[in-house]
Order: sequence, then structure tokens, then C-alpha cells
Amino acid sequence: MNWLREVARRLRMLMHRRQFDADLEEEMQLHLELRQQEHLESGMTADSARAAARRRFGNVTALRETSHMAWGWEWFEHLALDIRHGLRMLRKSPGFTLVAVLTLALGIGANTAIFSVVNGILLRPLPYHAPNRLTVVWEKNSDGTRDNVGYATYLDWKAQNHSFEQLALYASWQPVLQVGEPEQLNGLRVTSNYFRTLGIHPELGHDFLPEEDNPASLRVVILSHSLWGRKFNSDPNIVGKSIAMNATSYIVAGVLSASYESLMNQDPRGGSVEIWRVLGYDVSQPWACRTCHHLVAIGRVRDGVDFAQAKAEMDNISAALMRAYPKEYSAAGVILTPLGEQLLGQASTTLYILLGAVSFVLLVACANLANLLLARSTNREREVAVRSVLGAGRGRIARQLLAENCVLALLGAAVGLIPAYWTPRVLATLGTGDLPRLDAVRLDWRVLVFTASAALLTGIATGLAPVLRLSKIDFQESLKEGSRGSAGGAGRRLRGLLVVSEVALSLTLLVGAGLLLRSLSRLLTVSPGFDASHVLTMRTSVLGQRYSDNTILRQFFADAVERLRTLPGVESAAAASQIPLGGNIDQYGFHAEGKINANPELDESAERYCITPGFLTTLRIPLLRGRDIVLSDTADAPGVILINETTARRIWPGEDPLGKRVKLGGLDHPWLTVIGLVGDIHHVGLDAAPDMQVYIPHAQWPFPDSDMTFVLRTLGPPTAHASAARRTIHSLDATQLFSRVMPLDAYVVLSVQGRRFALVLIGAFATIALLLSVVGVYGVTAYGVAQRTREIGIRRALGAQPSAVLGLLLRQGLLLILAGTVLGVAASVALTRFLASMLFEVTPTDPMTFALVVALLSGAAILACWIPARRAMRVDPMVALRYE
Amino acid sequence: MSRRGDDLQRDEIPPGTLYLLILRTLARSGEMHGYEIANSIQRISDHVLQVEEGSLYPALQRMLIKGWVTAKWGTTTGNRRARYYQLTTAGRKQLAVEMSQFERVIGAITRVIEAV
Repeated sequence: MNWLREVARRLRMLMHRRQFDADLEEEMQLHLELRQQEHLESGMTADSARAAARRRFGNVTALRETSHMAWGWEWFEHLALDIRHGLRMLRKSPGFTLVAVLTLALGIGANTAIFSVVNGILLRPLPYHAPNRLTVVWEKNSDGTRDNVGYATYLDWKAQNHSFEQLALYASWQPVLQVGEPEQLNGLRVTSNYFRTLGIHPELGHDFLPEEDNPASLRVVILSHSLWGRKFNSDPNIVGKSIAMNATSYIVAGVLSASYESLMNQDPRGGSVEIWRVLGYDVSQPWACRTCHHLVAIGRVRDGVDFAQAKAEMDNISAALMRAYPKEYSAAGVILTPLGEQLLGQASTTLYILLGAVSFVLLVACANLANLLLARSTNREREVAVRSVLGAGRGRIARQLLAENCVLALLGAAVGLIPAYWTPRVLATLGTGDLPRLDAVRLDWRVLVFTASAALLTGIATGLAPVLRLSKIDFQESLKEGSRGSAGGAGRRLRGLLVVSEVALSLTLLVGAGLLLRSLSRLLTVSPGFDASHVLTMRTSVLGQRYSDNTILRQFFADAVERLRTLPGVESAAAASQIPLGGNIDQYGFHAEGKINANPELDESAERYCITPGFLTTLRIPLLRGRDIVLSDTADAPGVILINETTARRIWPGEDPLGKRVKLGGLDHPWLTVIGLVGDIHHVGLDAAPDMQVYIPHAQWPFPDSDMTFVLRTLGPPTAHASAARRTIHSLDATQLFSRVMPLDAYVVLSVQGRRFALVLIGAFATIALLLSVVGVYGVTAYGVAQRTREIGIRRALGAQPSAVLGLLLRQGLLLILAGTVLGVAASVALTRFLASMLFEVTPTDPMTFALVVALLSGAAILACWIPARRAMRVDPMVALRYE
Repeated sequence: MSRRGDDLQRDEIPPGTLYLLILRTLARSGEMHGYEIANSIQRISDHVLQVEEGSLYPALQRMLIKGWVTAKWGTTTGNRRARYYQLTTAGRKQLAVEMSQFERVIGAITRVIEAV
């Protein structure tokens, strides 16, 4: 504790150091005066008394300094002095300061912005207790891909394993909350131990109880903090109250704390999860079967058990289940995905690529600034020489120059923070695709520490060049009147090196941006298999007890479609259980007659579209053979199905699929006859090859979907018809609620948004880098030309051809550009493979992209050389000769 | 540092003993200001020990940092403002440490000198 008190005393001195110095001065003065008095009394003259007192006292100035320095703050005072001096120097050359600060603000600001995103999304720990022990547990398909788990399987896993402290389930759930204005919420149905698995406790009320998790018990829900505030006015007595949802009532069990953010979200476009209810399954229910893969299992491994051990045990359990139920599983084994990887894995690739790219921008900015500083240091040689001759050590001068640069870099960082502050808003406008946790992107202390360190490193890095140069200068030489810079050769080499690296770095960024641009343009030329223009989509889910009758449910959608179809300006209309590029995955086993595996789980599966007549027409999906689904395909008529080309090719190669029979989603279902063959559509994304797809009539399917999306082909802009469509459906049922009322082409745009996001950012970085390096090349050439003005004059006067002189001036710049280009191409070849996962039908070393980028960059750079050279040529030789 | 021998023969104080002298002086007389400390050391040593008077002050600052002494402003008999130094508990402990160290060294030196 003693050292602590000592630090406190030292700090007190720092705060009041003027007072300390004054006190010291006063007591020393008193001492001298008392001694002088004593001497006077012993009979000395006033002068000799004073001299004697001083002699006995010693060197007052030195002693004062020693006393002052005893407190150990001189480094701080020097720093303060250096900073003040630095600020004064910057104020004296506002033009330079402005250019330097803006360059740095670009570099540091862009880095801060990207780092704040990386920090918010990847670096912040997951909001769960000990998140590195949480893992998602998947069933394994025969092809090694992962699959959701069925409830019966989960119960066996849970009973038999010893590796997991907790094993829970969740599934997505979209209830309609009927409080105030009805609203469709994004929710989850979870097993009662879900929050205990995550290590989360409700802030208000209680967690789900095991006895609440069965089909017979009360319907209990837990609310997110935001929903509690938004819809229930943060009612402190909410626990135990009943709320209306989906035309029934639920009891609120608890409210989570504000710090909880739900990341378990199967639908990235659905917003964050705001409500949870118990799963309430029972193994006797048909949807609790082993092949009902629609639940996600999440487990917390016990202390002292690692993921490999847990996986080994689960593999054994799974193998035993496969032996016991050979027809219910397609493969033995499980797949574990650590939760962090599951939630953030995809985002991390993109973000780290962006972070790498943006660091290149900072490097280019550094090189540019270093160049600027080098040019300036030539003008400051004399100042440094004077200080040196006056007794400043080289170390002291170097420190002062570095401090000046750090001041500059910090100023740049401060300016750069302004745009970085708006990052979240810019990202929201830009659209980021599926990046999670974006709401947590902000400037927190970690970002500020990053920015400050980046600024200081930049300050030191850019300052080193001029410091090194100045330390080699012969000051005697510099002080002579009219002498030119003495370290010219070394300075020129250094500047050349900086320009070469700038060009190389910019080229690498441009190649990256070019590859992404070509990928996106290729992707946008991919035909989705349907016509997305002029189609309005609106999703709805019917509510209430009366719709539990299939006939009423089917009739509602049939009537709604019929009314929508006859609206003015509407060409055709239909409803479907899902729409392409909508982010849904709804796959059913495809059991073709005569081709069913001994284990039907091994049969192929297909995307299921449950549609009303008119869907193909509305989306303009081509009917290649056979007939479309029509109104007469009712529940009483024979079962029919449409298949796409991929299905026909895969299941009946070389055969005519029309008239073949198939069961969908299990052998206990009725036979359906293939009546038509339609074109493939891109369901998952434009970059994914179309899979097997089937279409079945909503009027026929034994479990008609209640969550449907209406599609309307319109004559004018689709959104113009939204309110008329709403009114039409409300005339049938005024309680209907719509979500995602948007044009179909917006889904196409959304599906490429992630790519566009990366492209826009890397493109912006590449543009900044290009501009900076062009400025750099221009600067070096202009400087070189200015230094050689007299030489140019002599050459011209002696009769040299202007073209020959121009060539001479351009040569240096061209060499630098050439070297930078070669280096940049090499670096790009080495680096672009990291982009491979983001490319589409373009190889990372696409020659076309490389050629175009090299042409663009070298063209711009050559122009930057040519302008100052050309200007020098226009100067009258006589003027040039007198120049100095 | 050369100085004219204006009166008596004076010896520089051995290095490292300045703290000991100040501590001991303050321990004997309670509160003192710098001038009094310097005078006291010279008087008691019969003007043999020569302190470069100014060097008292850096030493006092270091002792303030260490917490061996505290300082407060008061008035002299001549009605002048002066900073008075006083020993702290830590200072008393330090005095004991310095004393035993000094005695050990002096004892050792004496033994070396007197060894036959």
C-alpha cells in the first residue's frame, strides 16, 4: 500500500506543480537571504555577503531542476511541450495539416468503422453464460450434411448421454399478438430447459418449469425486454397475466433482461426473437416422430468434457438408435457445431476480409502521408539543424518529430471518428444481407482503444521516414546559406519505395473489388426461373379456432385469391406456402413408385410448394409439358403433383415422368400422380443450383398450410396495389394480418445483398486507395520535376528535343508505376484466393479482371506523372535557368 | 567542485549519509526549516561536516515523495514565511534502518583500519 500512497503524492505534485515550484523557489530564497543576513552581521559588505551565501548554497538553477525532477514527471512535461510545439507547427502550415488530417481521417475512419462492426459482431462475447461450452447438435444425413432433429430422437439423446449438462430444443414460431394493433412476432418454441441451457434467468418472473412442457398444460410465454416495453408499457405486474395471441390466451411467466439478445433465429429476415413459449410436445404426437426433422438441438457440455468426447458419445448413441430403428434414420452419427461458429461463422469470413481490405487503405494513407512528410522535412532541415546546434540531442529531436506526427494522427483519428459514428446507420441503409447482431455495432471503449492505437502507430510509422532522414543530415552543411537538401539521394529512394507500395496495395484492392463486381454482374444475369417484376407478395397466417376446419381454411384462400384476381390492374393472383428466395426451407421426402428405398429415409427430398391454381402463371414459371393445377383439383379429386425438370432428370432419367405416381413426406400418405413438368426455379439463391421442386394443390393436400403468401401480377408498380389487396382480404376476414408486403423483385435484391454489401465496401476502399496513390504518384513526380527545373532549362537551352526531356522526366515515375504494378499483381495472385468463397463463376485469378484493373490503375498513375512533367515543359528555358 | 577554504578545514559528507543526517536532525529537534537544518548539521559537527547547503532541498523533496517527512508552512522568529519539515512514522523507521546500516559500515571500516 506504501507505493500507492507514493503514487498519490506524486500525482498531487503533478496537479499542483506550479505551486510546488513556487514553494521551492520561496524556501530556497529564504535560505539564501538568511545566510546573507548572517554574513552581513559578521561584517561583510552586501555584495560579498550575497556572493558567499550563493557559494555555500550551490547552483540554484541546477538544484531547483534536480528537486523538480525528483518527482519523476519530466517525461510528461517534455511530452506536453512537444505536443504544444507540434500543434504550433501544424497551425503554421494549414494547407499541409488539412491534407494530412483528411488523408488520415479517411484511413483511420474507415478502419474504425469496420473494426466497430467486427467488434460488435465477432469480438463481443455471446450473451450467454460460458458460451464456449454451448454447441448445436445435428443429426447427420447419408450425404454427410447436417439435419435438424426429431423430438423422439431428442428424448433418447437426452436420456442416454452423459456429456451434456443440458440438452434443449428450439423451433421457430410466428404468433400474432393481439394486443393493441395486432402484430406478427418472431418467436421460438423451446423446451423448458432452454434458458437454463444458455445460462439465462428471466429478470422478472420465473423460467419455464418442466411440468409446463407438455401438450395439456397452460400455454406459458416469456417476453423479451423490448416486447415488454413496446407492447406492455413495461408493466411491472405482467407476470401471471394473460395475453391474447393467435386467438387464444397465454400466461406470461417472465421477462428477460435488456442485455439478452436472441441469436437463435432460423429466419434472418424475420427480425429478432421477442417471445418464447414452451414446446409442449409429447412423443405420441405425429409431429414428434423420429423423421420429423424440424427442431434444433442445443447442448451445454459438462465441465471437463470436450467437444470431441461429447461427439464420440453421441455418435455411439446415434449408431445404437440407427440399429434399433433402421427405417427412421438415413445415417448414424451426429454433427456438433460450436454455437459461436454456428451463429457467427459465416459473417466472420466476410468481416475479416473487409478488415484486411480496410487495413490496406490505412497503409496507403500512411505511405502517402510519409511521402508528404518527407517532402516537408526537406524544408525543415534548417530548423532541425538550428535546434541541434543549440544543444538538442538527436534523440530529443526525433522524439519531438514523432510527437508532432502523433498529434497529427490523433487529429486525423478524431476527424475519422465522425463518419465512423454513423456506421450503423450507413450499414442499415446499405443493407448487409444476413449479418447478425448489427444493432450492437457502436463506438464502445474497445473501438476507441483500437482507434487510438491505430492513430499512434500511424503517427510513429509515418514519422519514422523523416526522422531517419533527418538523423543522417550533416547539419553544418544545412546551416550554410542557400544550401539544398543534403540527403536528397536517400530521400528519393525512400519516396520511390513508398509510391511503389501504394500502387501495389491499391492494385490488390482494385483486383478484389473487380472480382466481386464481376461475380455480382454474372449473378444478376442468372435467370431465377421466374419473372420477378410486377409481382406483389404479401404473407398472412390465418388465425382462430374456425380455421382448424380444413374446408374453411381452403375456402378462405380460394375466395381470397378469386377476389384478388378480379381487382382492377391485377393480371393474375395466387397463394403459395412459400415463395422462391424467401428464405424458407420446406423439404419433403419424395417417394416415387417403384423406386422407394428399403429405408425410405434414404429417398431424395424435394422443396414443397403448396399452391392455389394460377401460381405458375403469376410467377411466369414455364409449364413444359402436361397440365397446370386447376380449380377442379379438389380434395375429392385424384391427388396430383407438378414436378420440376431437376426432379424428372434425377428420379426418372430417360423416362416420361407424366402419369408416374409418388408419395410425399412419408409412405403413409396418399399417392399423387405427376400431371405436369415445369421449369426449375432458384429457391435458395441465384448462386445455388436449383434442387428438386414439387407443387401440390392447397385444395388437396391433407394438411393445408395456414401460413401462405399471396402473389399478384400487376400492370403497374406492384406496391401501388397493396392497400387495395389488403382491403379485399379484410372484406373476407377483418382480423387478417399481413407481413412482408413487398414486391417479389425485392426478394431477388435481398438474396444478393450480402454480396453487394461486400462489393460496395471493398469498392469504396479500392477507390480511396486509388485516389490516394494517384496523388502520391503525382506528388513524387511534381517534386522531382521541381528539383530539376534548372537542369531542364539547361537541356532545353542546349537544344534538347522537348519529347526527349519529357521522356527523361517521365522515366522515374513510369519505373515506379511498373514496379508497383508487378508487385501488386503478385500480391493479388497470393491474396485473392481468400475471396474465393465470395466469388461466383469467376476464378480468383480471372485474367480479364487483372488486365482491366492494371489498365485502369496504370492509366491513372501515368496521367498523374504526365501532368507535372508537361507543365515543366511549358516553362520558358530562360526562366528555368534563373529558377532557384 | 572546487571551493576556496575560507575558514576552517571542512570535509564533504560521505555519500549517502545526507538522508541520515537530515532524519537524525529532525528527530532531535522536531520541526525545522531548511536553513535551520543546514545550520544544525554544521553546528553539531563543529563545522567539520560541510553540506553544500542547496543540496538539502532535492534531498528533502525525495524524502517528501518517500513519505519520511511532511512539510507545512509556518513563520520564523523573524516573522518570515518558511516551510517547516517534520518526521513521520515512516521517517522514524527509516532513521532506524539508516542508523543500523551506518553503524554496520562504520564498524566494518573501523575493523579494517584497526586490524594489525
